[in-house]
Amino acid sequence: MNRLLRFVPAAVLTIVVAVLPLVVADRFLLKVFTFVGLNALTAVGLALLFGYAGQVSLGHAAFVGIGAYACAFCTTKLELPWLAGFAIAALLSALGGLLLSLPSLRLKGHYLAMASLGFGELMSVAFVEGSPVTGGVNGLGGIPFPAIGAFEIREPATLYWLVWGVVGLAALIAFNITSLRPGRAMRSLHGSELGAQACGVDVTGVKVRSFVLSAAFAGMSGALYASFVGFISPSVFTLSVSVNLLAMAVVGGTGSLIGPILSAAALTLLQYIDALIPGLARETAQVVQSFQADIYGLAIVLVVLFAPGGLAGLWRRRGGERP
Amino acid sequence: MTMLSVKGVTRRFGGLTAVDGVSFDVHEGTIKALIGPNGAGKSTLFNCLTGFDTPSEGSVSFEGTPLVGRSARQVVRLGVARTFQNTQLFDEMTALENVMVGAQARQGTGFVAAALRLPSAFAEERRALEDAERLLRLIGIEEWAHSLGRDLPAGIRRLVEIARALATAPKLVLLDEPAAGLNGTETRELMHALFRIRDAGVTTLIVEHDMGLVMEVSDEIVVIDRGAKIAEGPPRMIQKDPVVIAAYLGEEDVDE
Repeated sequence: MNRLLRFVPAAVLTIVVAVLPLVVADRFLLKVFTFVGLNALTAVGLALLFGYAGQVSLGHAAFVGIGAYACAFCTTKLELPWLAGFAIAALLSALGGLLLSLPSLRLKGHYLAMASLGFGELMSVAFVEGSPVTGGVNGLGGIPFPAIGAFEIREPATLYWLVWGVVGLAALIAFNITSLRPGRAMRSLHGSELGAQACGVDVTGVKVRSFVLSAAFAGMSGALYASFVGFISPSVFTLSVSVNLLAMAVVGGTGSLIGPILSAAALTLLQYIDALIPGLARETAQVVQSFQADIYGLAIVLVVLFAPGGLAGLWRRRGGERP
Repeated sequence: MTMLSVKGVTRRFGGLTAVDGVSFDVHEGTIKALIGPNGAGKSTLFNCLTGFDTPSEGSVSFEGTPLVGRSARQVVRLGVARTFQNTQLFDEMTALENVMVGAQARQGTGFVAAALRLPSAFAEERRALEDAERLLRLIGIEEWAHSLGRDLPAGIRRLVEIARALATAPKLVLLDEPAAGLNGTETRELMHALFRIRDAGVTTLIVEHDMGLVMEVSDEIVVIDRGAKIAEGPPRMIQKDPVVIAAYLGEEDVDE
């Protein structure tokens, strides 16, 4: 019974997410909830990397960008089928994750954060300067909608279901991994690398795989974003986006998948607060939107100071007090 | 039969020689103690034996297999597990989960097998859980199974680490000051646990400052001082050895 109760939050969340397009008729709101899904997908990857394996990445927007540009380039210039573009996007981002995992084998904590920040900046310059592929500062436009075979997905509701379907699949993969042996290896790295080594944990292998998987999820999110919006430019994949993504993982909490998904939802919806609450005064919405970065920063500071385990940690603590 | 053979192991850090040409053997099925004053080089020697450090000179062989140059992971997979003087528990995991990590050394479920929920992954999971529960009982700390690492008292942390080391299914286990932070009752329980570990067929090399414990449990003792071996023999002989008394036993309160 207790075991089943643990799945209640995930089940409720799945049902709410699945039926939302049947209830919400507003096309713009559906788009907003699709953006939530895109960030949730990246957040699941970051939850694995940060929340389970304890590795910091301040360059995750770069992986989203690699996925977005790869998918856009493949479907526009190379005219490849969308699924091929999506797969190549995931693979290229995974390759980027492999590259960034190399410094993580030598560096920890702040130093790894600096290396990932450098990687992110490197890629954002590459997106601007690699104009034959990326279109430079003008970006790439005319990106086709996702299509599976001859079936083009262009309705807001179907796009929403596609994105959240991928989120569900990624969350399922992440759940399976974290609830079995690899997850315990990842959490042991977070706890003590020496202890992990003494237990025979393949520290290098686990770090590399965590980075690769996390980057692949970010790349898929980027590919879906490019196909959903139809236009991408370097300004979408900057350091501030990386910080926002990390904020979702930090606030969501460690050792949890649902925490980061919920915090991704909350922090994304904050940007569209005026669409969500129709009666909200315009000035209030503007204040929230212009102080968005500050709200994210404040959320990180408060969580790090008062709830190091994030929302998930608070939830567990509450549960832990019961006999 | 000789299980672990340490020959002329030396470890220098710049101009400092922390371990100086130490040689000794550990025989299968015995409990051997490594003692010496603080700073004698015991922990450095432990690191050199378990792949956490590399000796500047000398050789270490385990059942005839050379250990020098192998990674900590390779050493533990060969059957040599260890605990740390500063416990290295996973604070956000329960005691039971901590011990289950020890099974990683001999498990095979990778990311793909786990993502696909292969039956083998679940079978391995069950075995790891059963082993961990059995080991917590063996060490006598099963009532702590579901407490988080960071909530455990210092003494229990050490015991959990011993159970975790045993979960790697070692033939030889190296314990670095297992009794530090334990009260009298807990130390007696540890002593019984050490005998149960030996009776389970696991050979033990133990670094310890609690002389009562050392004299009672060990079959043989090696004494090192300033990095070099100064005596080796059964407890009765070591207690009477004038060199040992001068260097160590007579010098300060042995219980610290």
